[in-house]
Amino acid sequence: MRDTFSRRIASYVLVALLSGLSVLAAGRARKPFSPDAPDFRKKGPAAAKILIVEFSDFQCPACRYAEAPVRQIFTVYGDKVRFVFKHFPLRMHEWAKPAAVAAECAGRQGKFWEYHDRLYDRQDEWTNPKADDFLLGYAQAEKLDLKAWQACRLNPSAAAAVAADQKDGENAWVGSTPTFFINGRRFVGAKQLAELGTLFMDRELKK
Amino acid sequence: MKPRAIVAMAGRVFLGAVLIYAGASKAAAPAEEFALVIGAYDLVPASIALPLAGLLPWLELLVGWALLLGVEARTASAVAGAMTGVFLAAIGSVLARGIQIPNCGCFGEAMHFTPAHAFLFDSLMAALCWIVFTAEPDPLSLDSWSQRGL
Repeated sequence: MRDTFSRRIASYVLVALLSGLSVLAAGRARKPFSPDAPDFRKKGPAAAKILIVEFSDFQCPACRYAEAPVRQIFTVYGDKVRFVFKHFPLRMHEWAKPAAVAAECAGRQGKFWEYHDRLYDRQDEWTNPKADDFLLGYAQAEKLDLKAWQACRLNPSAAAAVAADQKDGENAWVGSTPTFFINGRRFVGAKQLAELGTLFMDRELKK
Repeated sequence: MKPRAIVAMAGRVFLGAVLIYAGASKAAAPAEEFALVIGAYDLVPASIALPLAGLLPWLELLVGWALLLGVEARTASAVAGAMTGVFLAAIGSVLARGIQIPNCGCFGEAMHFTPAHAFLFDSLMAALCWIVFTAEPDPLSLDSWSQRGL
């Protein structure tokens, strides 16, 4: 009787132990990621108490919807927030990578945020096989040096910057866009950012 | 061993392996990712989605290992059956309401099932849970070891 009882307890302990080990083993695949980006993809004071890192895809509708809460955060929190944009073009979005490179090259001429806003505001317009014509049109509208912008798009360093961000996102286990890290804590999608992210920011600011 | 007992034993191992894989792939990834998928079903408030996303993978792991090793296999198959029933109801409601979700969230980022495929797969899982639930403990389970000794 006593033998049966101790064998049972041993079985339960084994189940609990193996469950914990499964999580540990699977979690070891996570790697650290760099929240850094070129200065033109950063907004807000470097000493701000809140650091928001966004992994985003210009072709993703959910990222466009998230623009409203992001802009609201800037209105409400102002200089208390430092914002960093990281490219994370999803493989299933055909024109996301060319758009990311185009925005990166606009950034190198000091017009990243203007180009970024234009891509989201007009997402329905350019996400089609004529994307390249629209990307060029937006560069013209932003009065970029078109020769330098086109040369930048062909320069492997712009694509490499996008790829480096993608690698950072993969290391951070970003599976969906937009994903936000607020002071290191993850919020996925506009809803989590608006409903939980702002509460978290309030708590961080009270610290 | 009778053919039915062999099917029940194979079913127990299969169910256990599937639940361990599903639980580990979700538990290893950030809970916020799974919470986003739970939110897409539009069945629970956002405040519950995140704790649920943290808890559910652990439940799958515990039940999965219990089934794989044959520890309290009857209880584990009942819990697995109840979980599968909830999953079927959730997927069924999404299909009935015409909500578009690209991924059922069953295996985190490791494997993507459409809701229709997930419904068929969960139906198979539910049938296996019933077979395991109604079977006697098989000789290779830890239940047998703790009751009679191997």
